[in-house]
Amino acid sequence: MSIPPVSRRQFLAAGSALLAATYVPDWAEAFQPGATGEARRAEVADAALAQAVKLGASYADIRINRYRRESIATRERQVQNVSRSTSYGLGLRVLVNGTWGFAASNLVAAASARAAADQAVAIARANAALTTRKVVLANADKVVTTWANPIKRDPFEVPLETKIAFLMTLNEAALAVPGVSFINSQLQFVDEQKYFASSEGSRITQRLVRTYPQFTTTAADRAAGDFQTRAVVDRAKLLGYEYVEDYPWLQDAERAGHEVVEKLTAKPAVPGRYDVVVDPSQLFLAIHESVGHSTELDRSLGYEANMAGTSFVKPGDAGKLRFGSKIVNLVGDRTQPGGLATTGFDDEGVPSERWHLVRDGLFVDWQTTRELAPLVGQQKSHGCLHADDWSSVPFPRMPNVSLEPAATEVTLDDLFSDIKRGIYVVGRGVSSIDQQRYNFQFGGAVIREITNGKLGPMLRDAAYQSRTPDFWASCDGLGGPATYRLWGTSADGKGEPGQTNAVSHGCPPARFRNVTVLNTGAA
Amino acid sequence: MLNREDALTICETVLAHATAAGAEDAIVSAQSAVESHARFADNRITTSGRSADVTITATVWVGRRRGAATGNDAGADALKRLADEAVQIARVSPVHREYVPTLGPLDYAESRAFVAATADPDLNARAKSLEGVLTTCRAAKITGAGFHTARASATAVATANGNRRYFRNSEGGLSITARTPDGTGSGYFAGDHFDLAKLNAQHIADQAVGKAVRSRAPKPIEPGVYPVILEPQAVSDLLGFLTGAFDARTADEGRSALSGKDGKTRVGEAMFSERLNLYSDPMHPEMPAAPSTADGTPATRLSLITAGVLENLVYSQFWAQEKKRDATPGPVNYILESTLPPTAMDDMIKGMARGLVISRFWYVRQIDGRSIMLTGLTRDGLWWVEKGRIQYPVRNLRFNQSVLAMLAPWNVEAIGAPERRSPLMVPALKLSGFAFTSISDAI
Repeated sequence: MSIPPVSRRQFLAAGSALLAATYVPDWAEAFQPGATGEARRAEVADAALAQAVKLGASYADIRINRYRRESIATRERQVQNVSRSTSYGLGLRVLVNGTWGFAASNLVAAASARAAADQAVAIARANAALTTRKVVLANADKVVTTWANPIKRDPFEVPLETKIAFLMTLNEAALAVPGVSFINSQLQFVDEQKYFASSEGSRITQRLVRTYPQFTTTAADRAAGDFQTRAVVDRAKLLGYEYVEDYPWLQDAERAGHEVVEKLTAKPAVPGRYDVVVDPSQLFLAIHESVGHSTELDRSLGYEANMAGTSFVKPGDAGKLRFGSKIVNLVGDRTQPGGLATTGFDDEGVPSERWHLVRDGLFVDWQTTRELAPLVGQQKSHGCLHADDWSSVPFPRMPNVSLEPAATEVTLDDLFSDIKRGIYVVGRGVSSIDQQRYNFQFGGAVIREITNGKLGPMLRDAAYQSRTPDFWASCDGLGGPATYRLWGTSADGKGEPGQTNAVSHGCPPARFRNVTVLNTGAA
Repeated sequence: MLNREDALTICETVLAHATAAGAEDAIVSAQSAVESHARFADNRITTSGRSADVTITATVWVGRRRGAATGNDAGADALKRLADEAVQIARVSPVHREYVPTLGPLDYAESRAFVAATADPDLNARAKSLEGVLTTCRAAKITGAGFHTARASATAVATANGNRRYFRNSEGGLSITARTPDGTGSGYFAGDHFDLAKLNAQHIADQAVGKAVRSRAPKPIEPGVYPVILEPQAVSDLLGFLTGAFDARTADEGRSALSGKDGKTRVGEAMFSERLNLYSDPMHPEMPAAPSTADGTPATRLSLITAGVLENLVYSQFWAQEKKRDATPGPVNYILESTLPPTAMDDMIKGMARGLVISRFWYVRQIDGRSIMLTGLTRDGLWWVEKGRIQYPVRNLRFNQSVLAMLAPWNVEAIGAPERRSPLMVPALKLSGFAFTSISDAI
């Protein structure tokens, strides 16, 4: 069920004199679109790249990006915060004697771009003596083009009052449920406008719009000193405001209200071994942590050893390592519609593509960049270089990694049907996994027991825990194409200095046998 | 970075534009920042860079309606647009029920947390320091990965009611993960300081390499509840979950680990070991911080736990107004220390009949806010102790452990001297019990 959009005209007709007397302007300074803005960015980029090459860079690229963000935060029946921000700047990467240097500035002009080139080259030269292996880049085609993700309604053009009305209605849907104490809700929108230029001649302009609705309901038993929370099930997508209008947010808020109250009195989970059916709303996160991060080649090579960690998948494992059962097929995909990591080109101008990471249960390929691909004997990058800001160094980031559904229609009830003792996990709970992506523990927003093929009452304080290769080997059932969903996470952390990446994972519900279930409530 | 005069001029310019556009109250901040880093792995530099930015935020109220806008362009036209946009957002927003008038003139101490040389480190000096680190790794036949960072910022704030403040801070840090070539050993050590010159890169490298060598070929043990010694890094990996629970509003609303029964909070309860103090102090000699809270209250020493008793919760200006009391003058950092003379790490080990020494934790998440129940894993150094001696390295373990239970009166046996792990100062802790639930293959 969607909220009927209220037009600005309708709102003003019904609204106050104060509101009628004012308006929020368009983002007049947003990105200077059109020929003038494009020419200005090209002038700045050319100045930086020419200076870098003049100083000895064998390769250089520059990103001149603007980010617009809007955030509206509410709790119960009041608006806590409405804010907008813009950030504009340039980030220049140079390769000198096989060593990287990087410099970034919020001053976007030819002079500051040349100064950035001076700094980046100086950094690379100072570190060159510490380089034992020179960076070699895989070839990439020269590209001159533009790309934008399709959106039906630009969220930055939707009146603020429409967004506030949506959140207030959402909050009421949850608060109408007896026993709900609190709701915090938020709408966030990001408009990422990127210009890329390289010393190889590529010039790429892209626009990506993301929409992030979220809420958390809380039920507190003040007398007993007890409380429970239930967060939103869906997450961010690479879509416009139509995502707010089309998804049944009110139904989810009302359901969240009922479920958080039920959680207060739900029976505690009994630890043991269970068959586990994981809904796409939680399985996406299991895929993210256990597959997405373990198949990043930079981790396997040790580049992330000091922060995110390494991987149980070793550099020579492609085509050899049994990753899961034969029904498990996982793809890297930066073309998936609505996927948060979907783009036209990555941050070194490589076009997006879809490829298998795991085929018929066998690990077959990596996530790569131009620097990484040659290190495993590949001629081309899969296009996984990304920076979360103009000021950030681009580095390998996860594409959308998705689990393919069964070839024929299989329903959720089909997956439950032969389970004697199991649990069904819905929605995102707490997740944790070790630094080589073996041992994980995942909770859910709501977990219910399955007894003799039937879904039963809710359990509290439950989490499932396993070891990645064992878990995927135990997968013996997948939902069919009709059950496939795409869910995402908006703040995947990696790297130093830390960066966040937005990424989605598509999947059907899946069944896993004989998995450890914990009760996490006992201190 | 912007100096005091230039930064405050930006704030006052935006204030003037906002007032002219109709703002009845406003607060404007201008933060300029510079960051330099070098990242290394596989015993070589992988990425290195420098970035500079300025962030200007205007928050305004018109008829108690609130609007906020942020930009990073300090040009004259951009400052006017920023102010106008904040006012325009305010005009179409509902009444802000939690409005508190912005602060007037107040006196703030000078920040001690800034060293100019840390703001822009010499590239060649950094390269020489890292060369020493990489040489140490290679000499020990260790694969080193790590991160060297230096950053500084200057923040100016001006309000329509006359508050003016300007603080600078700096911080340098180095962390190293040393791994044995056979992939069976890994060690981590890190240090940070507001003065980059005080950072001892060689000591950090030696510690990380030593841990890697001593953690080689770990043996499995059964998960269960064991006595443990947490090194300061491990304590810092957990303590942030406790500090997040001190918010008075959340506790008053009954949704915090520090909420009590029947609508009360747990202030005054002896919840923690009587040997523990936790406080904030902007003038701490090793861990100085900005002499102002985020909402402008001048920061002074603030006790949160005194001899194990929950002494204070943290009141924002709004919640203080609601509760008819003063906003708390912090926290701006956290110092956990013993009420008694500290116990040295060696003495903790000598006094341990059996148990584990833990270097650090990884991927720690809160499962349950009622008891601050956390899950996560040990990483980069875990050893079995028996009869007062470290016996052998142990395979990593997953834990499910409540922080409240961990620091409870019956569970804390000994406390070390606090060490800087920004923004915390934390000691090693010797604990009677810590709950592990599964074993990990990860090295």
